[in-house]
Amino acid sequence: MMRDMDARVLACEPLAEGLTRLILYAPEIASSAKPGQFVQMLVPDNAHVLRRPISLMAYDPQAGTMTLAIQPKGRGTELICSLKAGQTVRVLGPLGTGFDAGEAKKVYFAGGGVGVAPICCAMDAFANEHARAFFGFRSAAYAYGMTQAPCAVTAVSDDGTLGEKALVTKPLLAAIHAKKPDLIMACGPAPMLAAVQKIALELDIPCQLSLEERMGCGIGACLGCNVKIVAPDGSWCYKRVCKDGPVFDAKEVAMHG
Amino acid sequence: MADLSLELCGVKLKNPIIAASGTFGFGREFDELYDIGQIGGISVKGLSLKPRTGNPPSRIAETPSGMLNSVGLQNPGVRSFIDNDLPWLLTKDVAVIANITGTTMDEYCQMAQVLAPTGVHMLEMNISCPNVHEGGVAFGVKPESVYAITKAVKAESRQPLIVKLTPNVADITENALAAQEAGADAISMINTLTGIAVDVNKRRMILHNNTGGLSGPAVRPVALHMVWQSAKKVSIPIIGMGGIETGEDAAAFMLCGAQAVMVGTANFTDPFACPRIVKELDAYCEKQGVKNAQELVGTLQEY
Repeated sequence: MMRDMDARVLACEPLAEGLTRLILYAPEIASSAKPGQFVQMLVPDNAHVLRRPISLMAYDPQAGTMTLAIQPKGRGTELICSLKAGQTVRVLGPLGTGFDAGEAKKVYFAGGGVGVAPICCAMDAFANEHARAFFGFRSAAYAYGMTQAPCAVTAVSDDGTLGEKALVTKPLLAAIHAKKPDLIMACGPAPMLAAVQKIALELDIPCQLSLEERMGCGIGACLGCNVKIVAPDGSWCYKRVCKDGPVFDAKEVAMHG
Repeated sequence: MADLSLELCGVKLKNPIIAASGTFGFGREFDELYDIGQIGGISVKGLSLKPRTGNPPSRIAETPSGMLNSVGLQNPGVRSFIDNDLPWLLTKDVAVIANITGTTMDEYCQMAQVLAPTGVHMLEMNISCPNVHEGGVAFGVKPESVYAITKAVKAESRQPLIVKLTPNVADITENALAAQEAGADAISMINTLTGIAVDVNKRRMILHNNTGGLSGPAVRPVALHMVWQSAKKVSIPIIGMGGIETGEDAAAFMLCGAQAVMVGTANFTDPFACPRIVKELDAYCEKQGVKNAQELVGTLQEY
């Protein structure tokens, strides 16, 4: 059940280079959230008409809290990241579909950059002793989400300051060749998702991709965030990232338009 | 409590707040948040005779105090609307306005015919969408073509016909007059202003369609001016819109001569905008000592 509420800021602090961790007290949202879902945050001024869609990095229904990782990219996200503990911010959520492990016993997780945040949330829910996670960051300074990970994490970086100098698909592919998973969950920049999708389709591994798009309403009414979705018969249509996604089956997403 | 009700072209509305086409879908998503029967009317997502896939993403860009969109009229087609969405909408206590768009005059006329036997309360003819390459705004720019298409569609319409006007013209009042002379029952204004947004880092357009339609508070002064100008020229009702965020914004449009207003972009900023604006308009009327909100219409003091 989605709710629009004033959430109290419990903490707003640096998480990594270019990334802020916001912890909010929002019991009505936290109590019904699922991994892979997001919230629509109102920019705390009266000048920005569009809310900012932010994925859940963690949520705790008992404590009534949720954790968000936010990349200050423009004036709106900068203002959100400059919130102080004790202030309130208007938040609508939880929104969208989530990741779903279904019957899968062995899940591989792949995250890139800010896309690691929703993967952390999925790992909390679905990681078991068979799970493996693969994170890609620009450099060591940008890394996060590894210390309390519930399964083994292999991190790589663009410059070699963290793990191997490689794209996240390299260790992912090596792990798949060692042992094929039942399912891959991935979130990250579009080129990374396209690469993960290619691997999953070629090796016939079920795969869920969490997409990002500029959003209007966030609840499925305005069709502003639509992406191209391909049906099994080859026909295509546009579907809403906010309502039909943000998590889609890799088989149906047309990553290259 | 002020009386907010009105009769618009013979259709009773419980208040003058109408959800603007394209921002509210067919009402289902917002009805998950609140009973949409609280608002006066809903102008549904723009309908075409055949389904339309819409424009490729990105379709949205935020701009100072506003936004650009280039959704491109994605919709399941008028027949799907009639079969799958209208029956549900008619169970809600809200006036249903079918927003129609086409690529030829014949398509507009066929849509009016298809909607004639349905329970839709009004038609809103969109001849002002800037986001499709053919049709749409092509009919909405010159007064002669506004007249011709209004005349043709009115002849096929059983419901009151609202003509939605574009601000991207030399003189919107000429088009307002043309619509009135051709038999329009009301006009709604303004549709979005054409604009672009530039990603300077990538050195490219943000919107895949290149151009989009500007809406939100940024356009409000322009919209108020155009409503004020047009209200002096036409005697048919005007439905005002353009960046309305509060009850006082709605009142401003009514003072300028609008009998009712449409709320669009504000639904994104605040998903409860429409019912909130109803309450705020009521509070404004109380504060002003106005018993019936329609008393506000066209009473702006000018210098």
